[in-house]
Order: sequence, then C-alpha cells, then structure tokens
Amino acid sequence: MTAGSQYPTLIPLGGQALLVRFGTSLDDAANRRAIDFARLAALADLPGVLEIVPNLVSVLLRFEATVIDFDWLAGEVRLLLSARLETHIPTPVEHAIGVVFDGPDLAELAAGVGLTEAQFIDSHNAQPLRVLATGFAPGFVYLGFHPAELVVPRRTAVRPMVPAGTVLFAAGQTAITATAIPTGWNVIGHTDFANFDASKTPPTLMRAGDSVRFEALS
Amino acid sequence: MSAAIEILRAGPLVTVQDAGRFGMLAHGISASGPMDRAAFVTAGRALPIAGAAIEFTRAGLSFRFAGDPVQVVLAGGAFELKLNGHHHDWPEIIALSSGDLIDITPGSFGNYGYLRFSQEFDLPPILGSRSTNTITGLGGFYGRSLQVGDRLSLVDGSRFAVETLTPGSRDGGSIRVTWGLHADHFSGDIRQLFLDREMTISTRLNRMGVRLDGGGAVFGGASILSLVSDSIVPGDIQILGDGTPIVLMRDHQPTGGYPRIATIIAADLDRFAQLRPGTAVRFKSVAPACVLKLGSRG
Repeated sequence: MTAGSQYPTLIPLGGQALLVRFGTSLDDAANRRAIDFARLAALADLPGVLEIVPNLVSVLLRFEATVIDFDWLAGEVRLLLSARLETHIPTPVEHAIGVVFDGPDLAELAAGVGLTEAQFIDSHNAQPLRVLATGFAPGFVYLGFHPAELVVPRRTAVRPMVPAGTVLFAAGQTAITATAIPTGWNVIGHTDFANFDASKTPPTLMRAGDSVRFEALS
Repeated sequence: MSAAIEILRAGPLVTVQDAGRFGMLAHGISASGPMDRAAFVTAGRALPIAGAAIEFTRAGLSFRFAGDPVQVVLAGGAFELKLNGHHHDWPEIIALSSGDLIDITPGSFGNYGYLRFSQEFDLPPILGSRSTNTITGLGGFYGRSLQVGDRLSLVDGSRFAVETLTPGSRDGGSIRVTWGLHADHFSGDIRQLFLDREMTISTRLNRMGVRLDGGGAVFGGASILSLVSDSIVPGDIQILGDGTPIVLMRDHQPTGGYPRIATIIAADLDRFAQLRPGTAVRFKSVAPACVLKLGSRG
C-alpha cells in the first residue's frame, strides 16, 4: 500500500485553515489524489470556504471561521472524499512549451546519467509531464515525473538568482520560473513562456494537473 | 478635490497596505496586508470611508500634506506625533490642511503604525489589492517601500465622522498557538520545552518573518529534516535546520519545506507582530476548536 492510497489526514492549520493531506512524501498517487480533490472541492461550493489551494500532496482549504468551524468543514470534506472522484474531473489542459536547452548545468547532468546532451534532451521531452503543483512563487510550476533513470539530486550550492523563464531540473522533476528567484536546482535551459502576468486575472496560465509537452528550440 | 502627501522622512519598510490580496496562494502570492490587522481596522473604523493604509515601522515617518482638506487617522503601537511641531496624543484623528507637516517618531511600544486617510491613494489595485507584497515586489507604490521624495495622490473624497479611538493593547502574557502541521515530528519533550522556555524576539524581523532567539535550548536535540513542501499560513512557526524558530508573517512564502511545530492564532498574531526585538515570548498551546471563541480576526 502506498502513502497515496491511505485515507487522507485532515489537519487544522491555525484556526482558519484545514489541510487535507494525502501523503507525507511526494509520490505520484498522492499528488494525483490531491489535485483531483482540489478540483472536486472547487466545484462543491463548500460553505465558508474562501480559498482552495492544491499542493504537492495536500490541499489547503482556507475558511471563514465565523461561518464554519474546523469540525463542520472536516465533515463536509469527508463526504466529498467518499464521492467517486473520477466522474467529476475535467480533462487536463495541454500546454506546448518551447525550450532552448542551453543551461549551464546541462552537460554535467547529461554526463551524470550517462547520456549525451542531445540524448538527455530527447529523454527529457519524450513524455508529457503533469503540473504537480503551483504556488511556490508567482507562476512557478513543478512538473513531473521523469523516469527513474533521469532522477538527479539538487545542486549543493544555491544560485542567488535566476531570471524568469528559467527551466530547472532536479528530483525527477522539471520546474519553470516565472519571476527571478534563488534556486538550488540544476539550470537546463530557458523559455519565452511566461506563466505570470500581474495585470491579468487570473495571473497564471497553468493549473495543477495540466499536461505539459516540451519542444526543443535551437 | 485633489490632495497629495510627500514623504519627507521614512524608516525602513514603510509600505502601502490594504486588507490584503486574498485568493492568490495557488498563483504563488501570499495575502500580505497589515502586520497589525486590528490597528489597521481600528484606524479605518474612525472614518466613514477609509482608503488603504501606509504602514510605517518603528523609526516612523514624516510627510507634508498639500491640497483640499482631508482627515487622517494615526493608530497602531505607541508613537510620538507632532503636527506642525506641536505634540499630539496617540492614536489620533487630525483634519489636515494644505501645508501641514506630520512628524511621527519612535514611541514607547510596537513595531508598526498606520496612517489612513478619508480618501484613497491614487494607486492601481494589483490583482484586487493595493497591498505591497515585499517578497514579490507587487502592489502598493510601484511594488516597493516608500522613500523620501515619494508623492502619493489622494482621490475620491468623502465626508468625515469622528469616533473615539482606544490605544492598542500592550497586554503582555503568553502568545497562544495551535500545534502545527509537523508537531508530530518533534518529541513530547521538545514540545514541552517549546512551551516552557522563554524565547526572545530577535533583531531579524520583517514582513516575511520574525526570527526568535533562544531556540537552541529547545530544538538543539531535534533533527530537522527537509519535508515535502506544503501550504504556509500566517503565524506558522517553522524551525530552520540550525534550530532557529522563525514565525512566518503576512508576506510569507506560500509554501515551505521546513517543519512547523505550531501556529500563532489569528487573535494573537497582531500583538505578536508589535513585539520589539529583545522582548521575551512564551507560547501557550490551545485547541483549534477554541480559536473562534478567542477571536477570529486576521
């Protein structure tokens, strides 16, 4: 039995938020269940719920404590969890993202997994990835999962700042920055795709659960 | 009606804040909003229509007002206030005339004070809010702290009504917490130490977080692992790898991977935000079900 197939844990965060946790480590099943539950909860119009935020393996429900309390909301959540999820979930949106694979860590990464740079890029782009989570920084997306032979750890040194549109790689995942941030991930390329525009509502294009296919640009 | 203020002196981290930019966590933006929400709300209640606030820090602020008359409410903490060189009480409501000079200097307690005018700042809402988010550089005055020479226009005038203001609470006493997302990662002994030992507010504090000194005696024996990243809420107390506790505040990162032992309840987070460096803090655990009865603002 994997962590993702166990009954989720309902945890209070302070007095105004409930976390539905599907696992305590990142795995595919827990991530899928979190994303599916977030989509279902968004359609359910739960009383007093102000905001629904999917994470890697959990979903945050921020609630108005003068309208509903934790125990009442927990009951509503348990009812939702017992519903048949697959009948409610819309088909994921698909995105095609062009990437210039010119990152400073690409050569070392490819060599580390026994591939040429071209082979690494082909393997990286072979399968569409799923948006595992958003929310770490404006427009930032975690995408996964790559097959086991491509899994490498993060760098030991943190780069103080990488620009928006940097394509990152570590821990079996690819990530795309949409603002300048510091990162300990490997830098493998860059994209013109911009997943954050503060002048638009909503300000981001990708949602957890969306499908992303990468194309190598020269 | 037209009016404006010009900043003549500003301490660090003086920002424009309204109630907050809610609903943007999934897009990677925490809500921001006033560090002391109660003081912000108190200031607003004194006016029939109140705009976003200027949140200033311990060093205070000076500005000159120009234009058609407006009212301004000054509240939060305890600061020294002068209008054209003459001392005024704190908190205070003042009718400003063109040319008036307001000078706010450090007072006896608190880290944050608020100015709210009977008009709104002529600044565009970004994603539904005028709050400045210091971590992303969004909102407020071009996404940044106010500096000497900045000029903020006021628009949408309204009539004035005056209420009595009560000074902010300086109540000491423990800060109440609920056990956090990762409380079970800490042994019972460490959780007890966390409640028993006094810690102090360090000098490393800003809108994102407040580091506590004295955490080594509590968490020295704990092994702090990096965890799968999960939602953060304001008031979360996360323990860094070296055992330093940091209380995450209004401009927190939306998600984080350090263990969080407890969360300061909303009713006590305003009071906590006002505690100055060097102040001793003791935490007291309460059940989540009690939190509503203890007040739910924030």
